[in-house]
Amino acid sequence: MKDEYVHMFKAVWAICWKDIKLYYAKGPIVVTGIIFPIFLWMAFYAGKGLELKEGLASLITLTLLFTASSVTPIIAPWETRQRTLEMLLSRPVTVRWVLVGDVLASTIFGMVFVTPIIALGAILNITPANPFLTIVAITFTAVGLSSLGVMFSAIPTDTPADVVLLSSLVKLPLMFVSGILVPITQLPSWILPIALLSPITYPADFVRMQYLGSSFLPPYLSLIFTVLFALVFMILALELHEKSIFKRLEKR
Amino acid sequence: MYAIEAFDLHKSFENVKAVNGVSLRVRKGEIYGLLGPNGAGKTTTIRMLTGLLKPDRGYAIIMGHDVVKEPIKVKKLIGVVPEEANPYPDLSAWDNLILVGRLYGIPNYEIRERASNLLKLLDLYNMKDRKAKNLSKGQRQKLLIAMALIGNPKVLFLDEPTSGLDVLSARKIRELILEMKNEGITVFLTTHNIEEAGELCDRVAIIRNGRIVAEGAPSELKIKAGAYTYVTIMFNKPLENCKLDFIKPYEYKVQSSKLLVICSRPAEVVVKIIEYAKKNGLDILDIKVSPPSFEEVFVRLATGEV
Ligand SMILES: Nc1ncnc2c1ncn2[C@@H]1O[C@H](COP(=O)(O)OP(=O)(O)OP(=O)(O)O)[C@@H](O)[C@H]1O
Ligand SMILES: [Mg+2]
Repeated sequence: MKDEYVHMFKAVWAICWKDIKLYYAKGPIVVTGIIFPIFLWMAFYAGKGLELKEGLASLITLTLLFTASSVTPIIAPWETRQRTLEMLLSRPVTVRWVLVGDVLASTIFGMVFVTPIIALGAILNITPANPFLTIVAITFTAVGLSSLGVMFSAIPTDTPADVVLLSSLVKLPLMFVSGILVPITQLPSWILPIALLSPITYPADFVRMQYLGSSFLPPYLSLIFTVLFALVFMILALELHEKSIFKRLEKR
Repeated sequence: MYAIEAFDLHKSFENVKAVNGVSLRVRKGEIYGLLGPNGAGKTTTIRMLTGLLKPDRGYAIIMGHDVVKEPIKVKKLIGVVPEEANPYPDLSAWDNLILVGRLYGIPNYEIRERASNLLKLLDLYNMKDRKAKNLSKGQRQKLLIAMALIGNPKVLFLDEPTSGLDVLSARKIRELILEMKNEGITVFLTTHNIEEAGELCDRVAIIRNGRIVAEGAPSELKIKAGAYTYVTIMFNKPLENCKLDFIKPYEYKVQSSKLLVICSRPAEVVVKIIEYAKKNGLDILDIKVSPPSFEEVFVRLATGEV
């Protein structure tokens, strides 16, 4: 039994290592992970003269959104087409292990980009009220967003563009309704019900609370929802792939 | 206990019946070949035996473990060289091997040691840092074989291991397969190279339209297929007006001064023909006896002639 767990951890870690080497350590992806959030952020805040604290909070969530879910949607279709997925799955690993490895790599990727932002804040003497809970929230947000990406890729296609389109169609609107750039309180009131459905509203509000000291929702509620969304997305992603994997392998 | 057992495997794709009731048993330490024309269902069978496809019906047991119910246990015991799967093109040969080794949960130092040994064995060591996409077809195939062997498998599945390789590389791989057998590994392979199967396999099965139509040692199959020895005799003049009915019931053909007989007892036929030639004033210029080729057997069985 213990050996099985050791084997599982080793296999998950091997998949994660492969993803980092193949997908994340690539120039274009790294650059996208930096450029998109920074430019969007500047576009919104340029000339508004807002408080640095507020800007930092938005930048953290925005960066997570752009990095943690950037690659997970394409791995499965890409590796199906490349016929490397079949090579992987003829080894002693389950689909779940492979996906957990993908989520882990993507979470690490997100954290790697968020860490310098938090550090920069610390240098400027802007720190979250509770650093520990902030890190917990950020980690779960990264896990949730990575899992969301994996979920999209459960459609048994071998065309990465299909999945990228689907994930952008979901991600971009989420960015606007979740109070990342504009606080929920300043959004038109009809958006509120939609905002409450968005999984990103909760971490965005929580991080805002940590840096600004005020929030729209009770912070503990936000934290619980952040964790809950991560778990639900993770489970859904694993279940959906478990169902579609044999269809995927049947594709030629 | 058998190394591989399959019971009544079925698999359909949309409306194609790819595999239609395949049952087979492979003993431990055997080299077993699955032969058949394109589209016969070889790859589909291997993919079901290795847990990559779920059979619609039937089941497979590898070293006593059900492939669908205990996939991890099974996959720890097997190595697979799939027909169309690839190593990661952007990882080096070395990194591909290390990745696969880690998936088996083997300790790192052991993976590194096995990886070097395998790369040396397969003449790939000096290109270990080359990306897989920059390897030639033969080198890539050898890398896939190394990746199949890194987990120390008890049963090795090879889907067309030598297709597209030059004569030397193919021979090297055949030698390696025989070496695996000597180490007690069971080998299940498919091939289009019939002579290769005849030479390598302890037993072969011939599959056609998703069904096994014949199975046995290559030599047994030769008899089963009724592919007899070819006797070719050249005379000094055309045979048009000769009465050759005495050759029957064996099949024979006359082409001008050449007589071709397909028979199971060449000596008997040759003696009769020499007698006939003496009586009728014919000179024999040449006699050639060729043993039945495995190819002949295969063609007869695969086209349903037998
Ligand atoms: N994923 C798939 N989707 C649809 N049809 C398939 C699929 N895989 C195989 N088939 C069909 O099933 C039949 C058997 O295919 P299979 O690949 O098993 O043949 P094979 O014996 O390996 O042939 P080859 O010698 O060409 O490799 C073929 O008619 C093929 O077209
Ligand atoms: Mg095939």
